[in-house]
Amino acid sequence: MIRGVKPMREPTFLILTALAGASRHGYGIVQEVEALSEGRVSLLTGTLYTALDRLTAEGLVEHDHDEEVDGRVRHYYRLTAPGLTALTAETARLRQLTGAAEARLRALRPGLV
Amino acid sequence: MAGPLARRYRRLLFCYPRTHRRDELLATLLDAAPPGRTRPTAREAANLIRHGLRARLGRPASRTVGAWAILATIISGIFAAAFATRAAWETAEPLPRAAQTRAMLAEILPGQEFIGIEDAPAAFTIYGAPLSWATVDDLLLGDGGEYALAEVGGVVRGVPTRSPQEALDLARQRLLATGWTVYRPVVHDMYGCVGPPCDPATLPTSTTLLARRGNTTLAIEADSADSMNSVVDTTYLSASFQRTTPPAVYPFAIIGGLAGAVVAFLLFSWASRRTTGRHPARWVVTTLFHVTMVFWWAPTLVAVPSSVWHHLDEPHPSWRPMWEWLGQPVFSLFFVVGGGCALLGVALAALPRPRTETVPTTAPS
Repeated sequence: MIRGVKPMREPTFLILTALAGASRHGYGIVQEVEALSEGRVSLLTGTLYTALDRLTAEGLVEHDHDEEVDGRVRHYYRLTAPGLTALTAETARLRQLTGAAEARLRALRPGLV
Repeated sequence: MAGPLARRYRRLLFCYPRTHRRDELLATLLDAAPPGRTRPTAREAANLIRHGLRARLGRPASRTVGAWAILATIISGIFAAAFATRAAWETAEPLPRAAQTRAMLAEILPGQEFIGIEDAPAAFTIYGAPLSWATVDDLLLGDGGEYALAEVGGVVRGVPTRSPQEALDLARQRLLATGWTVYRPVVHDMYGCVGPPCDPATLPTSTTLLARRGNTTLAIEADSADSMNSVVDTTYLSASFQRTTPPAVYPFAIIGGLAGAVVAFLLFSWASRRTTGRHPARWVVTTLFHVTMVFWWAPTLVAVPSSVWHHLDEPHPSWRPMWEWLGQPVFSLFFVVGGGCALLGVALAALPRPRTETVPTTAPS
C-alpha cells in the first residue's frame, strides 16, 4: 500500500505528465493534456496558469526557457526533480488502486477485465 | 497581438494583478482560440475572472487564502453598506415639529391631553440627544443600543378617563378613517412572574398599536386595565411618530456595499501578496487580520439571527436601520477594535521588505 502520498487532482496529474520528458509552453501543455486524456480534459488558460503558479510555488515545476514565435514570447516549463518524484509516487498510488479495482472486477465478471 | 479578440482578452486580463504575466496568458489564449473567433466564450471569460482574482491574492500554494478573502470581502461590504445607509438616512424628511405632532395626536386620540412633546433634535439620538463626542463612550461601552431612530411624541398622565382598550379601539377607528395602515396590536407583560403563586392572566400588560401612513409611523402604547384602578397620577398612554426608511437607503446600500467589498478585496489581496515570504511583520499582519475577522464576524453572526427573529415575531411598519441587524452600535467596541487591527495590519504590510527579495510574483512577462 502506498502511504504518505497526497492524492493529486486530475488536471495536476496530467500537467505533470505532460511535462515529463519535455519542456512545454502554455498552449503546448494544453494540447498535450488533451492528447493524454484522449480529448476528455480540455484545460482553460486561467486554470492552467493557476495550476502552474501553484506547482511552481511547490517546487514541482520551474521555468525552463523562452522562445519567440510570430512576435509572441513563449515561456517553457519543465518538471523539477521533486516534481518527478511526486509524479512517480502518484502514478504508483493510482496503479495500486487500479490493480485492486481490476482484481475485484475480474472476480466479479471473469473474462471481462 | 492586435485585433478584437486580443483586445477583449486584454480587458479580461485586468482581473490579474499588474505584475502578473498577462502577455504570456494572452499568447496562450490566442494560440488556443479557433480561427474566426472574435470574442471570448462565456466559459473562458468566467474562468479568467475567477483565476485572475485568485492570482491577485498571491500565495499560489495556499488552499485557504481564497476563503479568507471571501470572508473579508463579504463582511467589509456589509459594513460599508451599513455606513452608506446611515448617510442615506440624512435624506429622510425631518420629523413633525411639536405643534404639528400635538395636532396629529389630537386628530387620532381626541380628548387626550398629551404632555412632554418636544422637537426631535436629530434623525438619530442617544439618550434623547444627538450623537456627540461626549456620548461616544456611551455608544462604545455598552449603551450602543440607546442610539436609535429619533421619535416625537408624548404621554398622557392622570387618572384614565376611558379604558386603554377603548382608547386603542377609538385610535384604530380614527387611524383607518384618516388613511393610516394599522397593524395587529402587540401585547407584552409589564413584568414577569417571579415564582408561585403567580397567575400570568392577572399580570398587567402593555399593548402597542402600530400604524403607517406615507413616510411616517406611529406607535401607541397603552397600559392594561389595572391602571384604571389607580387613583394616583400616572402615565397610562403614550404615542410617538417616527420616519420610515427613506428610499435613498436602498441604492446607497447597494453602491456602498459593492464599493466597500471591492476596496476590501483589493486591500486584502495587496497585503496578502506583500506579506508572502520573508516579510518582517508577516505573522503580526496575519494575526491582526484574524482578530479583525473574529471581532467583525462574531457579533454579526449573533445579531443577524436574533434580528430576523425579532422582525418576524412582531409587525414592523418599516425596516430597522441596517446597522442594527449587524448588532451595531451595541457591539461597536468590537467593530472599532477590529477596524483598528485592520488598519494596523495594512500599515505593517506596507513596511519595506528585505532588499534581497522582491515582492514574489509569478514570472513577469
